[in-house]
Amino acid sequence: MQVKLYALTTCPYCRMVKRFLDDGSIEYELTEVDTLEGEEKEDVIAEVRRISGGGASFPVIVVDDEVIVGFNKKRIKELLNL
Amino acid sequence: MSDRPVRRRFEPGTTIADLKEYMEPFVLRLGYRFNDDEEFVAEVLTSEIEILDQTGDVYCPCRVRTGDPREDVKIVCPCIPFYADQFAKLQKCWCGLFVRTDVEDGSELHGVIEVPEGPAEVPVALAAEFPPGTLRTVRVGKREIALARVGDDFFALGNVCRHAFGPIGQGFLDGHMAICPWHGWRFDVRDGTTDHPGANVATYPTSVRDGYVFVTV
Repeated sequence: MQVKLYALTTCPYCRMVKRFLDDGSIEYELTEVDTLEGEEKEDVIAEVRRISGGGASFPVIVVDDEVIVGFNKKRIKELLNL
Repeated sequence: MSDRPVRRRFEPGTTIADLKEYMEPFVLRLGYRFNDDEEFVAEVLTSEIEILDQTGDVYCPCRVRTGDPREDVKIVCPCIPFYADQFAKLQKCWCGLFVRTDVEDGSELHGVIEVPEGPAEVPVALAAEFPPGTLRTVRVGKREIALARVGDDFFALGNVCRHAFGPIGQGFLDGHMAICPWHGWRFDVRDGTTDHPGANVATYPTSVRDGYVFVTV
């Protein structure tokens, strides 16, 4: 199971998701989009838009191929079998 | 780059209390209030003050700034008017800093960012500021709607006249007829019909609650 988290350093829900994943000892790849620059940032934002259906709201959690936008605790628990 | 000085809403040293005092009166008019969860509000506003220090204005901390001012203007906080219909369905703004005034307990809405399907009742005006006989344009997300009050009833219709695309909402009311200011085409606010066949405008349901006028889109 591959877990990716796209977050912003300023976003409170992103912090909540991080805490939630850390408390559950889940390993995840973290990308803090606002710390990126230039073309890399543009590419990542385009990717986030693509997988989250157009918007650019955070957090975006990807579990294998499933995408969750926002701190939807119930859905995250379901996908991670918590 | 222009040499015109940029006006700032907030000076360096702005506190959470300053932000709350500034934002509260005008978000209430938009149909929203601060979330009941005060700790959460403090957390979000702390992030906004960080963003203020970095950028000179307050932006939504849950959205990414692209650097393009035309895009970023849509996430200046509060960004409610730009997403009026989506927020009406979510019952809050993206981060939940603001919740709709008709929400009982804002903390229940935490975390949800996916907009539910279906129509939304969007607050568009304060009934007290809309006396009988008033006709005005209101914006709901990307839509422009002409809002009319006849007696105690509110009516909402598409704002664009089918003649030459004039702004119906900037016209005037004659009983139940909204008269386009450009060439005088008349639209019945009750059903959007006009004398010219095939040129009707859409109508939208309205309701009034707690002093707010809602349009359902």
